[in-house]
Amino acid sequence: MWDQILQFVLTGITLGSTYALVALGFAIIYNASDVVNLAQGEFVMLGAMSAIALTAGEGVPLVPAILVAVLVTMVVGLMLQRFAIAPARGITVVGTIIITIGASIFLRGLALLLWGKDIHALPHFSGESPIRLGNVTLLPQNLWVMGGTAVLVLAVHLFFNRTLLGKAILACSCNKAAAQLVGIDVGRMLLVAYGLSAMLGAMAGVLVTPITFTSYDAGIMLGLKGFSAAVLGGMGNPMGAVAGGLVLGLVESLAAGLISSGYKDAIAFVILLLVLFLRPSGLFGRASAERV
Amino acid sequence: MLLEASGLTKSFGGVTAIADLDFLVPEGLVYAVIGPNGAGKTTLFNMLSGIYRPDEGRLTFAGQALIGQATHQIARLGLSRTFQNLQIFFNMSVLENVMVGCHARARTGLAGALLRLPRMRREEERIRQWAGEALDFCDLGGLKGRQASELPYGALKRLEIARALAARPRLLLMDEPAAGLNDTETLEMRGLIRRIRDQGITVLLVEHNMGLVMQVSDRILVLDYGSRLAEGTPAEVRANPQVIAAYLGGEVHYAVE
Amino acid sequence: MKRLRGWWLLAVLLAALPLIFPGNYYINVVGSSAGLFAILAVGLNLLMGYAGQISLGHAAFFGLGAYASAILTTRYGWNPWSALGAGLVLSGLVAYLIARPILGLKGHYLAMATLGFGIIVHIILVQTGGLTGGPDGIGEIPPLSIFGWAIDSDERWYGVIAVTLLLVVLLALNLMDSRTGRALRALHGAEVAAAMMGIDTAGAKTAVFVLAALTAGLAGSLFAHQQAFVSPDSFSFFVSIELVTMVVLGGMASTFGAILGAVLLTLLPELLVVFEDYEVLIFGAILMLIMIFLPQGIAGGLRDLWQSRRGLLGRKGGVGQDAA
Repeated sequence: MWDQILQFVLTGITLGSTYALVALGFAIIYNASDVVNLAQGEFVMLGAMSAIALTAGEGVPLVPAILVAVLVTMVVGLMLQRFAIAPARGITVVGTIIITIGASIFLRGLALLLWGKDIHALPHFSGESPIRLGNVTLLPQNLWVMGGTAVLVLAVHLFFNRTLLGKAILACSCNKAAAQLVGIDVGRMLLVAYGLSAMLGAMAGVLVTPITFTSYDAGIMLGLKGFSAAVLGGMGNPMGAVAGGLVLGLVESLAAGLISSGYKDAIAFVILLLVLFLRPSGLFGRASAERV
Repeated sequence: MLLEASGLTKSFGGVTAIADLDFLVPEGLVYAVIGPNGAGKTTLFNMLSGIYRPDEGRLTFAGQALIGQATHQIARLGLSRTFQNLQIFFNMSVLENVMVGCHARARTGLAGALLRLPRMRREEERIRQWAGEALDFCDLGGLKGRQASELPYGALKRLEIARALAARPRLLLMDEPAAGLNDTETLEMRGLIRRIRDQGITVLLVEHNMGLVMQVSDRILVLDYGSRLAEGTPAEVRANPQVIAAYLGGEVHYAVE
Repeated sequence: MKRLRGWWLLAVLLAALPLIFPGNYYINVVGSSAGLFAILAVGLNLLMGYAGQISLGHAAFFGLGAYASAILTTRYGWNPWSALGAGLVLSGLVAYLIARPILGLKGHYLAMATLGFGIIVHIILVQTGGLTGGPDGIGEIPPLSIFGWAIDSDERWYGVIAVTLLLVVLLALNLMDSRTGRALRALHGAEVAAAMMGIDTAGAKTAVFVLAALTAGLAGSLFAHQQAFVSPDSFSFFVSIELVTMVVLGGMASTFGAILGAVLLTLLPELLVVFEDYEVLIFGAILMLIMIFLPQGIAGGLRDLWQSRRGLLGRKGGVGQDAA
């Protein structure tokens, strides 16, 4: 029984790592531009699918394929900011949400066109021989996911707290006008934020797709759940988003394993509603006061 | 006394906006609240209209306790308000804006609206008439059919007043009605405020334009850092050395009519 | 009656089409579909366009109405009209229960909460196989009949839907030109000021949310009987997005705009049949393009054009800008 639970916990952490990276991407874009980017999940899908497409058959070896896939997805992220979000100046909240939903549908359509409806996977990075810890099994890929996520999260944390560029982006999110006045190129900062989020999404996709296969519409649910995780952690708090992702992954995995797997997708949304109703600032967010 | 406040206190995080404030507003006066920026004037208005809840203290309006009541309930007690940052309904026409002001005076509900019963149509006519009267009172009669988004700033300030007046309030809170107005418009605003008072409506006025305040107010409350610094007639306040030091800055003369 | 000019035009148009083009597939079948979605769009427009709220889960109410009718008529032998009534009660009740907590939220949070709600309902429809037939849905839904006259042909469905649409539009027009309608629009224009005018904003939001849900439930029941089959696919997140697109495309705060949006978006797949593989791509592109270049929708764009020709375009108000 405990072994079973431990197994679910391990699955949960793997799942949660993916959610954490998606949620982190949400938080970064939200912080920088007050936009809820519902195309976030498509970054994950594109990263994975591009890598798969490149390594297919006698194609490119794994590491360069991953790099190119991530780069391509980053470019998509930049284009999203530059051509879809930026032109829509002064638009309402509904408006930006619809634009990002439109972008998500567009990217899904693109993937459908390029790669059809089949499901695909990348080969495992370092083999498929299971690792046994007592009565619990782990695939090497699980370690890749967890380790990779940890490295990325740490890198992002250092980026925002130790580098000038990172701090400049934070400045934009606090007060755009003030940031411009001290000479920060807000437009460029936004591009960096979107590129960074896309990179995180693509890495998440690449890391996890050997285990959970991917297809053209794998992005939707991931994006929506990632958003729930970001809200759970506290919208706008990047580390909170990571925590939210892990918590969500764990809860989902345990509930699916112990209660019922049919409703597991609903969990993320029930959590979302509960958080919004009971504690909108999430686990680690700050409640804000509004001036009338 | 129409409005009584005692011991009002409100803090936001570490900042105390209003500290242990007492004041009394008699009915039928123009009562001004002045003070430097950050003295707590808009916070006071927001507490009066139920947008903020005071941390401590009591507020009584026409014998009714205000604290704990929702904004729309307070409005129905006979309190109305204009806003520092225009809160015009830009998605409606000038007339419709003011017709919304009559909301509390009318009764037709959802069923009446959907079925368009004769009673509803008669009430609509009355609302239209009341709104027209309020617009005429504020010299906006000719702009009834326009979209609110077409009006210039000065007219919009008066539109907000017309809308608030359409509710036939006993107390009208005016939050910086002269902000952004030129001299001519300010003169017109002065006349309007006096006409409102002459209708028997008590006016509680927050304003930075000292000339206007001195000319139109019957009594003035001076706030500084959320507390009461002075209270009295314009002449008394003008002569008060503490007020002069904190706010007016030296001897000032104002033309009084 | 000047006020109802548009309504009369619509009535004449709806009556004329099948007379001018009898037996036409596009009018009877596509037109019926468009009509149903128009009913949905008009209801959603009350919530989004006039009252300024957001719902990305509206398909849930569509589904509740449809499944209520489907389950009660096939499994419990209810009379279709009673089942329709039950569907209305269900939609209205669910809307009423979630309205207060959800509509206390604003902006992104409101949007995502409604989205979450919609997805939860969808998942329930898929998972409760015993009741709902799961992913395979429910078939063999008996036809609706009016005084013994069964609605079982495309022409008859066109008639029923057209009449229902006209009724819903009439109610919507009446509502918007009333004290309640002004209160809803005030809610959108400047919520704090609306409260200061004595409007119970929470109550008003709940009321319009329930109204929108009721129209969706009605459309759902009609849909179930028209198709004689329901499955969760028709009530997914994607459908909710399509509904929002119809309202936005047509132009918010315009009942006729919502109808236009519904018609255009129902015709779109027919036009895109040629580009089948590109359909998803094009839909996404359209969505982005509308919101970027025409955020006021077609009706809003026409309105601006009209006003600028009259030389009266002053401060940019309306829905494309957050009012205070």
